[in-house]
Amino acid sequence: MKCEEMEALLPDYLQGSLRAEQDQLVEQHLTECADCREDVLIWKKLSLLPVEKPSAESRERFEAMLQAYQTGRSDKASARLERPKRASVWEWLRSPVGAVAWSAALLVIGIFAGNLLGAKTTHTNANQDEIVALRSDLANMKQMVVLSMLQQQSASERLQAVSYSTRTDQLDPQVMSALVHTLRYDGSVDVRLAALDALSRHGAQPQVHKGVVDALQEQQSPLVQVALIDLMLEWRDPDAAQRLRNFEQTPNLNPTVKQRADWALSKLN
Amino acid sequence: MKELERAARENDQAMKLAPDEELMLEVRNGTGETLGVLFDRYHSPLYNFYAKLTGDRTLSEDLVQEVFLRILKYRQSYEPGTPFRAWIYQIARNARVDHYRKTPRHITFEPEMVAPVMPKDSAQQSEETELLHKALMQMPEEKREILVLSRFQELKYDEIARLLGCELGTVKTRIHRAIQELRQNFKQLERGLAPREAGPAVVKNIPPRRFGNEM
Repeated sequence: MKCEEMEALLPDYLQGSLRAEQDQLVEQHLTECADCREDVLIWKKLSLLPVEKPSAESRERFEAMLQAYQTGRSDKASARLERPKRASVWEWLRSPVGAVAWSAALLVIGIFAGNLLGAKTTHTNANQDEIVALRSDLANMKQMVVLSMLQQQSASERLQAVSYSTRTDQLDPQVMSALVHTLRYDGSVDVRLAALDALSRHGAQPQVHKGVVDALQEQQSPLVQVALIDLMLEWRDPDAAQRLRNFEQTPNLNPTVKQRADWALSKLN
Repeated sequence: MKELERAARENDQAMKLAPDEELMLEVRNGTGETLGVLFDRYHSPLYNFYAKLTGDRTLSEDLVQEVFLRILKYRQSYEPGTPFRAWIYQIARNARVDHYRKTPRHITFEPEMVAPVMPKDSAQQSEETELLHKALMQMPEEKREILVLSRFQELKYDEIARLLGCELGTVKTRIHRAIQELRQNFKQLERGLAPREAGPAVVKNIPPRRFGNEM
């Protein structure tokens, strides 16, 4: 037998899975061929390499990870449960999401109580006023929540904040400027894109309009750049063409973004 | 009370004997309590897989943790009926690839990372072990990987074929070539012809212990 034929047989020989007659063929060849013999030898020698022991902390780290994971999950699960534990209710009420739900609940109670009273007294106008007042309280509350959530460490919470902000038709100037700030400076591309999406509904507001259009020059992410270009095109900004031409001078501009800007310019003219 | 304890113990016993796949199904449908048993079974083999592949112990420990985190995160993607061993090695390979994507390495072989724990054998044997280790680390990573998988992780060739996404015949050919290369590397190192690492390798050639043996 030649060495080339060993190629197909040797690995099986090493795992001991050859039929007897093939096994003999291989052993015959091994007595004749030093190289192949050494191949077998080196394979066997590999058993010299010690089995290494992972450190003792390894198990501890795993336990900690598992526990953290399970706690995270049970928190989520208990938020969904109807009667969660007392401690987690408190935690939940203190969280921004809890605050919104809490104020909504107060509003419902208020309306309900108002209706009860209204049935008795028939001062419906006064009740209407009260409801309006309560509604505006709720709107304020929501905006506070949005503002505080935009400061969160976790990108997903900031994302949530942005999406909350879209639930009210009227944006508080403070929230608006917070969103513009997010669009410009947030670390996460997703959050910036969401902020842009939220702001795009309020293009009629000069403050928003300016904030969005100004943001183009500072954006680093091609995704956000493209979204901004599209929005400028949609808004038909009077000086959009000039701004885009300036923007195209940016050094190291992503070719796709440049293409998009060219395309937008051609549409604008 | 005693019955409860006994039941708990029996449950424990059953868990320790249950096949991987069954345990993984429980992890998949539950919150992961049974993952501990799988950790006990696999963390040492995985650690050795990474240690032999990368020569870096700290990195290997981190990667093992990453594998188990991924199992938890992606437990829903475990398809009932698929061999767990194949699945976990798939995750292990991906975790390593992703790690190097994030932090590209500049050097594949760093002498100070290597030094395996030497068995307390004769000086000659530990010298041989060291050469062998070096010869293994000199190989390109994909060749080293296939050797580690077949020799140390004791994966069957068809398991390796599925893992690497190639034909069974290809696996055998690649293993054969890897063995040949390892043998050549080892020979070269033995003859001292290799692009040698300065210092330790030379010093180790005359360890003081050896004199004692000879006299």
